Amino acid sequence: MKPIAKLAIAALLSGTALSGVQAATHPVTGQELAADQTFTYRLLDDVSSFDPQIVEDVDGANVVRDLFEGLMNQDEEGNLVPGVATGYELSDDKMTYTFTLRDTAVWSNGDPVVAGDFVYAWRRAADPATASPYQWFIDLMSLENASAVIAGDMTPDQLGVSAPDDHTLVVKLTTPLPYFPQMTTHSTTFPAPQKVIEEFGSEWTKPENLVSNGAYTLTEYMPGERIVRERNATYWDNENTILDKTVGLIINDENIALTRYLAGELDLTDVPAGQYPRLKEEHPDEAISFPRLCNYYYTFNLSDSGPEAFKNPMVREALSLAVDRKVIVENVMAGGQPEAYSFTPEAVAGFTPPSSAMVDMTQAERDAKAKELLAEAGYGADNPLSFEMVYNTSEAHEKIAVVLSQMWKQKLGVQATLANMEWKVFLEERGNQNFDMARGAWCGDYNEASTFLDLITTPSGYNDGKFSNAEYDQLIADAKTAEDTTPLYTRAEEIIAAETPVIPIYHYAGVYMMDSDVGNWPVDNVEQNWYSKNLYKLAE
Amino acid sequence: MLAYVARRLLVAIPTILLLVIASFFLMHTAPGGPFTSERPLPPAVLANIEAQYGLDQPLWKQLWDYLYNVVVHLDFGPSFVQKDRSVNDIIANGFPISLTYGSLSFLAASVVGIALGIAAAIRHNTWLDYVAVSLGIAAQALPNFIMGPILILTFTLWLGILPGGGWNGGQWEYLIMPVIALSTSYMGNIARITRSSMLEILNSNFIRTARAKGLPTRAIIWRHAMKPTLLPVVSYLGPVFVYVLTGSVFVDLYFSTGGLGQSYVSSALTRDYAVLLGVTILYGALTVVVNLLTDLAYAWFDPKIRY
Repeated sequence: MKPIAKLAIAALLSGTALSGVQAATHPVTGQELAADQTFTYRLLDDVSSFDPQIVEDVDGANVVRDLFEGLMNQDEEGNLVPGVATGYELSDDKMTYTFTLRDTAVWSNGDPVVAGDFVYAWRRAADPATASPYQWFIDLMSLENASAVIAGDMTPDQLGVSAPDDHTLVVKLTTPLPYFPQMTTHSTTFPAPQKVIEEFGSEWTKPENLVSNGAYTLTEYMPGERIVRERNATYWDNENTILDKTVGLIINDENIALTRYLAGELDLTDVPAGQYPRLKEEHPDEAISFPRLCNYYYTFNLSDSGPEAFKNPMVREALSLAVDRKVIVENVMAGGQPEAYSFTPEAVAGFTPPSSAMVDMTQAERDAKAKELLAEAGYGADNPLSFEMVYNTSEAHEKIAVVLSQMWKQKLGVQATLANMEWKVFLEERGNQNFDMARGAWCGDYNEASTFLDLITTPSGYNDGKFSNAEYDQLIADAKTAEDTTPLYTRAEEIIAAETPVIPIYHYAGVYMMDSDVGNWPVDNVEQNWYSKNLYKLAE
Repeated sequence: MLAYVARRLLVAIPTILLLVIASFFLMHTAPGGPFTSERPLPPAVLANIEAQYGLDQPLWKQLWDYLYNVVVHLDFGPSFVQKDRSVNDIIANGFPISLTYGSLSFLAASVVGIALGIAAAIRHNTWLDYVAVSLGIAAQALPNFIMGPILILTFTLWLGILPGGGWNGGQWEYLIMPVIALSTSYMGNIARITRSSMLEILNSNFIRTARAKGLPTRAIIWRHAMKPTLLPVVSYLGPVFVYVLTGSVFVDLYFSTGGLGQSYVSSALTRDYAVLLGVTILYGALTVVVNLLTDLAYAWFDPKIRY
C-alpha cells in the first residue's frame, strides 16, 4: 500500500472515530447525547404502504418521510427548507416552477437521484394503472393535464412535469397556487426508483428490495408488530444526522401503549382522552400538549333529507350558542385542546379567527340568546325540537355527544337522541345524508386555511351537510389566486358564524407522553410532520 | 377407516364452499367498502381503484374469479388496505405467530389441566383435590381479556421483568404472557372434565375388578383408567385447539403480537374483503381438519368406536 493511500485511510478512520466522539455532544446545543441513538414510538395501526405514491395513512406517511426525501422538507416549525431541491424559481405568470436538484443526492443503492426520478414518480401517482388512493393529490396540485391523465383521457407522459436535465425539474400548473411549494413535502410527490420498481414489481417495498433516498432505510418490517428504519449511509446529509435507528411498534390500544410507555418500552405515545391532567401531575416533564391542525365539529344536514327545523339558521345558531365548549375541553378532553368558535383552527399559519359576537359573550349570555332564538323560531315546551345525532363508535366521541345532548336538554329543552355507528357504516350514512346531525373532524393536508374552508364549499366531496352559499364558494375560489387571502378567509369564517352550517366544538391538541431524553421533537410544527433525522436522544 | 376419512374430506369441500359464499355475501351486505373514506375519492380515482381490484365486476363474477384463483392458483388475492401485501403474504406472516403461541397454549392447557384433574381425582376429597378444584375454577373465571391486563400490570409495570407486548422474532420472554392469558381458562375446563371423568371411571366395575385381582394402583390408573378418562377430554381438546388459534384475537390485539387475529379484526373493520375471506377460509379449513383428527383420535382411545 502506498503511503498516500495509507494516509487517506488513516484520515478516513480517524474521521469516523472523531465523528463517533463528536456524537457524544450535540454539535449545536452542546448537550450530552446518549450512546444508544434509538427512538421507539407507537403506531396506532399497521401502515397502508411504504410506497410513497400509494401510502395514504398518517402513520405510513411518517415512515415514508424518513425513507424518502422530496423536493422540499419542513423544519421544526413547519417552514420550508431544501430537500433534494436546493431551491426553486417561479415564473412571472406564477404557473411554472423550476426546481434545482442537488447533485449530492443518491439512492441507497448508490444511483444518483435525478429529476427524472420525480417525473417518473409524479406520472406514476397520476397513472390510473397505479390506482393510487392519492391520485387526487396530483389534481389538487393543479399540475397541467392532471385531471385528464387521472381520468385516462391522456397518457401519463402528458402530465405537466418534465426534466430538461438531471438536476432541473420543471413543473407547469394550470393556475397559480401560492402554497404549491408546501405541497412538495407530501409523500405522494417523493421520488421513486424506477429501476427497482420495474425489477421487483409489487414486491419492491419489501425491506430486502426497497431502495430509498431518505435519511433512513427500511431494515425490518414485521407486519402488525414493528417497523424499523436505520441510518442511510448514502444520504447526502448523513453526517448531520444523529439518530441511528427509529423503531415503530404497532399497538392498537392506546391504554396498552401507555402502559408500555410507563414500563419504559416506548419513547413516545399518545395520551388517551381525559388522562392528561393525571399524567401531567405524575410526570410533569413527559406529558406534553400543543396545538394541532385539526378541528372537531357537528354538522347539520341541510339537504332535503335533513330535518325541517335545521333549515332555519336561528335554530342552528341557538344550538351552537348553547354548547359550553369550556366544559368539553376542560372536563371531557382535558388535554389542553383549544375551544373552537371558528371552523379553521387558530394554529393554521397566517390565519386569525375573526372576532364574533359569540366569542365576546359569556356562556350565560350565550345561553340566554340561544333560548331567545329558539323561541323566535317557534320551538319551546309546547313544540319541542328533537333530532338524532350520529357519531362513530369511540369512547371520546360518545362522552362528547352525551355532554352536548345534556346541554341542549337542560338549557333549551331540546331532545337529542344519540346513535353511534361503526366507522364505515358511519361514513356511508353521513355521505348519503342519512342523518340529522353528525360528528365531523378534519386534519389539514397542508398548513393553509383553504384545507379546512374548502371542505364546506358546494362542490366539495366532504360537504356531507350539503351547505351551499354562493358568496362563500366565490370567496374560496378567489382565495386560490389571491395575493392576500386574509380578508377572504375572514369573510368566509364570518359567513360560517352567521349561517352556522356546523357547530365547531374544539380544535385538536397533540397530547403525548414523551420521554424527556428525546431531543428536538417538532412541537411547533402544527402538522406534526416529523423527521427522524432532526431528532436525537440525550444522555439520561 | 380410509373410506371414512375420504368421506369426511369430501363433505368438507361443500362445507367450506358454503362458508365462503355466505361470508362473501355477508361481507358485501355490510355498509361501506374498502375504499369508503373520510374524503370520498373523486369518481375517476375510485373507478381506477375499483377496476384494479375487480370490484367493478358484478358480484357473482367477483366470487367466481375469487374461487377460481383460490382453487387453481392457491392465490387469495391482494389486500385492499395494506396495499404492498397479498393475502397469502399476510397469512404466511401472521399464521406462524398465532400457531406458535396457540400450540404452546394448547400444550400448557392440556398438560397442566389433565395433570391437575387426575391429581384431584386420585386424591379425591383431600387438600390436593380442593387446591386443584379451586385452581381450576379460578382459571376458568379468568378469561384472556381479564388475564391480559392483570399479567401486564404485574409483570411489566410492577415487576418490570417481562415486555408488555410485541413479538420480536418470537423470543421466549415475549411468549410467556400471551400463552398464560390464552391457556388459563381452557386449563380450568380441562382440569374439571378430567377430574369428573376420572372419578366416574375409578368407580366403575372394571376398575373394581382390577383392584380385586390385586393390581397396584399405579397400574390401574395408567393401564386401565387413563384411556377411558381421556375420551371426553379429547372431544373437548379438538375444539380447544381451534379456539386457541382462532380465538387468539384478543391476545393478538392486547399483546400486539402481529398474529393473524389482528388482521382478522382489522380486515372486518376496514372492509378488507380479501383478507377477511382468506382468513375465514383458513380458520374454516382448520376447524374441519381438527374435528376430523379428533374423531379419529376417539377410535384410538375407545376400542368400541370403529369407523
